[in-house]
Amino acid sequence: MQVNQPLSSASARSIRLRRIVLLAAIPLLLILAIAVALIERRQRTEFLQADADRILDDPRLAAKTLAKGRDIFLANCATCHGADGRGSTATGTPDLTDEDFLYGTGRASEIESIVLHGIRSGDDKGWDLAWMPAYGQPVPYAREKLPSLSPGEIEQLTSYLRAMNGTKGEDPTAVAAGNVLFEGRGGCWDCHGRDAQGDAAIGAPNLTDGKWLRGDGSRRDISRIIREGLHGVSPAFRGRLDPANVRAVAVYVSSLHARKDHE
Amino acid sequence: MNFPVSKIKANLRNWWRPDVHNERRSLMLCGFAAVLGLGIAGVGLFNARGTRIAGVPPEDAAVVNRSPILLSDYVAQLQALYNVSPSQATPVQKRATLDSMIREELYVQRGIELGLQNDFIEIRNSLVSAVEAQQEIDANATVPTEQELRDFYQNHLQNFLPEGQMTVTDYVAPDLSSAQRAVTAVRSGTDLASAMVADGLRSSGATDDGEEFYFAVEQHLGSTLFAIAKRLPDGQVSDPVTDRGRVHVLAVHSNRQAAPQDYSEARDQVLAAYRADKIARMRAGTDRFLRERADVQIAKPFQ
Repeated sequence: MQVNQPLSSASARSIRLRRIVLLAAIPLLLILAIAVALIERRQRTEFLQADADRILDDPRLAAKTLAKGRDIFLANCATCHGADGRGSTATGTPDLTDEDFLYGTGRASEIESIVLHGIRSGDDKGWDLAWMPAYGQPVPYAREKLPSLSPGEIEQLTSYLRAMNGTKGEDPTAVAAGNVLFEGRGGCWDCHGRDAQGDAAIGAPNLTDGKWLRGDGSRRDISRIIREGLHGVSPAFRGRLDPANVRAVAVYVSSLHARKDHE
Repeated sequence: MNFPVSKIKANLRNWWRPDVHNERRSLMLCGFAAVLGLGIAGVGLFNARGTRIAGVPPEDAAVVNRSPILLSDYVAQLQALYNVSPSQATPVQKRATLDSMIREELYVQRGIELGLQNDFIEIRNSLVSAVEAQQEIDANATVPTEQELRDFYQNHLQNFLPEGQMTVTDYVAPDLSSAQRAVTAVRSGTDLASAMVADGLRSSGATDDGEEFYFAVEQHLGSTLFAIAKRLPDGQVSDPVTDRGRVHVLAVHSNRQAAPQDYSEARDQVLAAYRADKIARMRAGTDRFLRERADVQIAKPFQ
């Protein structure tokens, strides 16, 4: 049988002290949590409200952003673009480390928009102004009436493009005929420009710089693209990635070519 | 009455002590909480501005009746209107941009309040397109593995046959007997051009541009003549055939039938078809879900 014994005054004081500490700790922890949340919010606000194109200029922001951006890149973008961001000409995935920008001028804010809304992703705010038509199909381009080309015409265009990129030995007659097609019936000039140097506002690649999005510029690869078209998709990460993560990965990608400048 | 100061002090001290039972305190706190709650609810209920959230979230430029104006949209708008980034924009440009976006948001909200989606075909079409686009976004968000694409390719091989190519001349004969004579002459070894000229056959001009894809040959010759030409090997002429009131003889110079291409050759098409298939399945699923969830009642005459 247990008997309740009266507590000594020291024990009572100790219990009371513990209660006071406990009672004080709760609001203190609460205040601490609120303070941490407020600091995080302030940093997040500062990061998101900063000009995306200037983040790399701020060493404090840049270091944190690049580390975070790389992790996000590896988790979400490397599947297609590769861990090094160099893409793949086998799948027509752009190289993100060179200065040959398919869309825009390589600014972080432009890349942020691509990450958020994608390219031909279905997102209305994404980039989707033009597709490379499939000239070997009955309806080469759904949005605009364009003629199909015959296999011979596709070969002529191929010769013209290869000659433009410095390939020797192309049949001059075919090259001339290809030029006529490029600037005329084929309508190629409409997106790629009369000088064939492309238009980054609509994602039309430069066809004169020897860099190929798909394949290696061989006759077979070029004619296949003309015949079957090309319209790669970059998914929209809006709603899938936190806005701060979108910004971090955009800044990281913009740094891939910026860093090259500094090497 | 005489209240000693020490007693009042003791009462006040005890009032705040949680370990001392105080019924009056409990009642007062309950009452205070109730009044506070009613006050907040009242302000929320009767204030035309609606319930405000605590500040603008960091990812937004503004919040209009709890609908966010995204910073990314604001930056894009700034770029579109003035071709400047936020750090280059003047305060006037920033304000004008935000004002225009707030106005747009208010009008969109007003439009929803007014139920304009019931009256304007354009809005209805846009909403349908937007829901479909959402399915497309979802479908595009997941990247299939190479194995998934290869399996899809194997299961739909017939969809990835490249277009066949053919060089064919369509000769038109003055009558069936001269056509038959020309065909017999060619088959017995006479030069094609000479045989055709000798019996008065001439090219219709429909396929004189050299090699063409099958679909183009079909467009130029029509489906009846194309079906005959497609079966002929290189260097063969068809029997005379009457089509749309004219007698034709088809001379096939080359005929490259479609042969399955490697997966690596067809990968772009496979990926596009895989996505299209996924989108179609998602749309069918959404249609089913919406119909199951909806209470659709159809008037008797229309059932």
